[in-house]
Order: sequence, then structure tokens, then C-alpha cells
Amino acid sequence: MRRSLVLTGAAVTVLGLLAGCSAGGSGSDSGKTVLKVAALEGGYGRDMYTQVIKAYEASHPDIDVQLQISKSIEDEITPNMKAGRYPDVVVLGQGRKAALTETLVKDKALEDLTPVLKEKVPGEDTTVGDKLTEGIVGNLNTDPYGTDKTYLMPMYYAPTGLFYNQGLFKEKGWKVPATWDEMFALGDTAKKQGIPLFTYPTAGYLDSYFFALLADVGGESFYTDVMTYKKDVWKSANARKALDITTKLLGYAAPATVGYANEQDFTKNQQLVLDDKALFMPNGTWIVGEMADAPRSDGFAWGLTPLPAVTAGGKRYITTSVESVWVPSAAQQKDAAKEFIAYLYSDEAAKIFAKSDAIQPVEGIASSLSAENAEFYKVYEDPSVAALVGGFASTAPVEGVDIKATLFDTANSVISGDTTEDEWQSALNEASEKLRQAGG
Amino acid sequence: MTTSATPPPAQRNGVSKAEPAPPAGRSRRGGGRSPVRRRADTRFVLLCLLPALVLFAVFMIVPTLNVFRMSFYTWSGFSPDMRFVGLDNFRALLDDRQFVRAFQNTVALLVVVTVVTTVMGLFLAALMTRQRLRGRNLYRFVLYVPNVLSVVVIAAIFSAVYDQENGLLNGALRLLSLDGLQQVWLGNQKIVLYSVAVAMVWQSLGYYMVLYMSSMASVPEELYEASALDGASPTRQFFALTLPLIWENLRTTLTFFIMSAVNLSFVLVRAMTGGGPDGSSEVLLSYMYKQAYTNSSYGYGMAIGVVIFAFSFLVSLLVSRATRREPLRY
Repeated sequence: MRRSLVLTGAAVTVLGLLAGCSAGGSGSDSGKTVLKVAALEGGYGRDMYTQVIKAYEASHPDIDVQLQISKSIEDEITPNMKAGRYPDVVVLGQGRKAALTETLVKDKALEDLTPVLKEKVPGEDTTVGDKLTEGIVGNLNTDPYGTDKTYLMPMYYAPTGLFYNQGLFKEKGWKVPATWDEMFALGDTAKKQGIPLFTYPTAGYLDSYFFALLADVGGESFYTDVMTYKKDVWKSANARKALDITTKLLGYAAPATVGYANEQDFTKNQQLVLDDKALFMPNGTWIVGEMADAPRSDGFAWGLTPLPAVTAGGKRYITTSVESVWVPSAAQQKDAAKEFIAYLYSDEAAKIFAKSDAIQPVEGIASSLSAENAEFYKVYEDPSVAALVGGFASTAPVEGVDIKATLFDTANSVISGDTTEDEWQSALNEASEKLRQAGG
Repeated sequence: MTTSATPPPAQRNGVSKAEPAPPAGRSRRGGGRSPVRRRADTRFVLLCLLPALVLFAVFMIVPTLNVFRMSFYTWSGFSPDMRFVGLDNFRALLDDRQFVRAFQNTVALLVVVTVVTTVMGLFLAALMTRQRLRGRNLYRFVLYVPNVLSVVVIAAIFSAVYDQENGLLNGALRLLSLDGLQQVWLGNQKIVLYSVAVAMVWQSLGYYMVLYMSSMASVPEELYEASALDGASPTRQFFALTLPLIWENLRTTLTFFIMSAVNLSFVLVRAMTGGGPDGSSEVLLSYMYKQAYTNSSYGYGMAIGVVIFAFSFLVSLLVSRATRREPLRY
């Protein structure tokens, strides 16, 4: 009796294990096409997705959209993807720690979404391409291989730049600096009053600073050279100038910056601006929601400015953060996925997204912005300011080389004096050269 | 005179009278079983072990072998495009300054945490076992508590302790008018690793102290009484009696240290510093994670995994060999 029990137990365990390994399958019993959508629950929340999906399903009764949403969506979908179960649509941008989007770009594992640009927006007469803001596609962010094929559709966009307290400037009678000379002069003035000029949440936030600075210093062609790893680009005079300005700026950094520049304490650096203990920090418009409940000095009001110009009257670029939506090439419902993406640019969807401050790069969106957001997006109306979209071009992975870490994280060492500007430049040149050789 | 007398049981089984009969229990259980029955028993035992063996193979052996296999490929972790590169990943490691730095940090943590935790653990265990401290159960409880806390909670606690402006540590230094000793504990590249080491020691000290206490408690009291009569001081007793008699236990914990230092440092570094500032607190596992998952170099990450495996194995072996000695009995 005991033996048969043990045998039965063993058999059940083994069978259970095998069954567990083979569990899966998809499909809807209702006969509808099941569209699996995975989205990052960012600062905009999750409600807007459920509302958009509800509206989509109402007009597409044959589609059953299954939403998977999480603040760490990569951790949830990656194991399934490794097992061959891919979502059909993913709303997830680049620059995340897990770098899932970047990995799939490097793997050339994304579906070509160029045809979506020519598709009509469901329920409307215009095509997606016509509806998108000019210049928002056709850059390295959306066309990562430098071809004219779009693999990442721009979903939300936000200006990033230097955030500051308008109230403090008003109180002190300070003018927001328009050139770097004015910036450093302000730095000296503020220093005398015990206020450091600069801080950053973590060094990774310097992406919005650096990309704009490179374009400010050498124009878009120089920026593109850096982003595409042109040979010896980091040895050029323009690169040196950008590093000179940055090294000088880092000399004005709040003493607390490096100690708090980690994932656990980064809000303490952001708090420095709210407490008038630092003047400027690079950030995006999401900062308003992120620090909504944080205490602040009297009369505090968020302000956003592009980086100062390198020369008076010079063109100033503002890095535009673009979150993306993409389709894995291994997705099962690619056609349905493309149609759904086209719908995401409809007036109906855009209105729902905008209510949560998720601003899509579609024509005419400005009229639906809330007062504070409208103020931020006004930056694009300044004729001396140009939007800059994109980042480093994708290459085959190079073991041990992460140029973004070399460019941004070294700032911590420059502030603490552990790395010199020459060493920084040399490390950048070395990393860039390795990536250039790896090619696209 | 009987020729047909029945031989005694031992002779019936072909065992000489001179040999002692097997214990009754053993005879009943197996000695008298036929080969067919024994085979059936073996099958039964194997079947009982089967679920555990299957689980062990599926979740331990196969993944470990896979790590070794993948270290010979370049692969991003997703695509079917896997390219065999032989030992190239290992060669690349030798030229990777960040890897070397992570390796140095791991070794430094291993040495510092092991030495400090062992010495403090032994000292506290001896203190609690040999001295009649008032409230020692409370001390034991307090010291053990960190061990049951989640590592992320510990990271949060220490981030608060190390806070450069409002932290407990700098606050205490201010209170003692030692302002000159205040530091940016998680922002100074020369200090950050030791800040992490302190958190690791705090987390594991209680566990090892309890382990040492349990083996110290089993050392017979008479030995201490006899040595005391011979005039041995408590320090002399510790080195001449306690330490040699718990030596085997100490050796075992050294292996634990190697494993936990590698694993715990990863979680604490991820939660407290993210490897920063600028890679100064990066350890092998966090660097492996970054390469495999953030830098899309899965094969390279697995090569780091193989190095970690070989390093841990080698250090365990060396420690085991170096500490081997004739066990003392009491």
C-alpha cells in the first residue's frame, strides 16, 4: 500500500513537472482575435490604457485586447519571450535599465512598421504619417538602423532640458541664462548666496543635457557624427569643447549630487531644486507628476529652459524624449497589431492619453494640453530652439562597452576628481571606436 | 552421535561458527533477501528519488551546463542568431577594465566581510557562551534580527544611515563634534565599497554568531574547568580549547561566506548603489547582470558567470585545504 502511494506520488510529480513545462497556449474561446498588448506603467498611470482599449474594442468587436501593464514590464514579458510567447504590441521606450527595446533593436527582432505610416487612422481620413508631427519619425530613435525604415513608432513625446524654480528666479531678480557665459556668471552669483548652480538626479539623466549640448556645439551634423561613432569624433575640437563646458559645469555641482545619484536616493537630488539648494537639473516633464507630493519652497513653480547657447544668438537644441510602441517580429497577430497602433494616433485615443498628460506627437495636440504642460511645450515655439530626437545608433553588441555609461556615469568621477577630462575624452574615444568597428 | 543433526543457522547460511552472527535487525532487513528482491528494493528507492532527481537535473544541472555552453557564444539572449566564438569571451574579459575592477571589488568584499564577520562572530559567540552576560538572550535576538530582514530592507536602512545630510552616521559624528570625519558614504569612490561591506556584516553577523554559539555550547564544561584549574585565562581557553574544538564548524562557515559574499553583495549593490558611483562598487554578479541583460551580451555575461563559478569553487577548495587539520574529539 505504502509502495503504491510512493509510486503514484512520483508519477504525479513527474507528470506535473512535464505538464508545467508545456503549459501555455493562447487564443480566445469566443472566436475573437486576441491581441496581446504589453505596456510600461510609467508616470502617466494605467487608466488611460484601459480606457483606450475599451474604446478600441467598442469599435472593433472582433478584437479582444489583453493588456499586461506593469512598472517593470520587462521583467514580466521577458521570460515568456524567451519561451517563444511574444506580446503583439509593446509600449516601451529606450533608455530603461533593462534595455529590452535596445536588445531587440540590436537583434533586429522588431517588425518593420513603415507601412503603418501609410495606413489610415481608423475612423479618420488621414494617414498616420500625415498626422504625426513633422520630424518625429525618420531619426535614429524611430529608424534605429539609419535606413528609411521605421521600427519604433513614437508614442509620447516630452521636452527635456534644465528644470528650475521660476519662483526663486523671480524672488532674486535673476534672469534665466541664455549663454554659457551667463550661466557660469549666475553660478558664481548663486554660489556667493550658498546655492549651487547644478545637480542631476542620476548621471543617466545627463542624456537630455549631452545630446542637446553636442548639437549646440557642432550642429546637427556633428551630433549625428557622435551618435554614429564617426572615427575619432571624440578627439575633435567640438567634442573637447562640449567636455570643457561640462567639466566646468560639474565644478558647480551641488556637493550632495554624487552621493544621492543612485536609484534609491535620486529624488533627494531632485528635492534640492524644490528646496532652492540647487538651481538647475536636467529632467523631463514627468518631474511634475513625480514630485507632485514633495515639499517645496514658498512660491515654487516649475520652469523649463533649453541649455544655454554656446555663442550668443546661437541655435539651441532641446532633447525630446520619445517613448515608443513596437511589434516584435515574432508576434502572432502582426496585422491586428499594426491596426491597433494606427488607432493609438486617433483623435479619440489622443484625447484620452492627453488627459493623463501623455502627449502624443500628433498635429494639433497643443490645444488639448493642460496649463502647466502647455507652458513646457511652448519651448518648441521659440524660433531659436530646435527639437532633437534620437540617441546613439544601434550596433551589434560589443562586450564590455556601454558608451552611454562612459559618457554619463563618468560625470560622477569628474565631480569627485577621480577622473580627469583627458581620461574621460580618451575613454569615450575608445568606446566609440569599438562600436564603430562593430558596425550596424 | 547423530549425523543427520540440523546445523545451526549460521552454518546453514554458510557462515563459519567462528564469525559473529550478523545483527538480528540487519539479517531481517536485507541479508536474507534474494537478489530479485534486492533489485526490486533498488528500483523502489530509485523511483522514490526520481522526482527529486528530475527536479535537480532540470533546475540545477541543465542550467549550469547551459551557462558553460553559452559562454562560448555571442548571443543577445533573444535572437536565434548565436555565434560560436570559442574562448573569445574569456579573452575579452582579460582586457575589460570594468570586469577587473568588479573582480577586485568582489575579492575585497569577500576578504573584508569574511574576516570581520568571522572574528566578530567568534568573539560575540564566545562572549555569550562563556560569560554570564545579563540579557544575553536579548542581545542574541537583536543581533539575529537583521538575518531575517529582506536584503532590500537592509539596503533601505543603510541608505538612511549613510545619508550624507540627515543620516544617522553623520548625525552621530556631528553630535560628537567629529565633523571632520563626516563622509559622503555612498558617493565617495574610496569608501563606498566598505559602506556596502558594513551592511553585509550587519546582515550576516547574527547568523554566524548563532552557528558558532551552538557548536561552542557542545564543548564539555569539564574541559574549561580543568583548564581553569591549570590557570588558563579566558583568552587562552578560547585559543587552546574553543577554537580547535569548533574548527570543523568554522571551516564549514568559511564556505558559506564565499557563497553568501558573492550573492549578497550583488543584491546590496543593486539596491544601494547600482554599482556606482561610476562603477566603483560594481561586483562580479552585478557586472554580469549588466552585460547579459543591459548590454545585450548574454554570452559574455555567461562567461563572467563561469568565472564566478570557477572562482567560488577554487576559493572554497583552497580554504578547505588550507584549514584542514586532524579533528579534535572530546
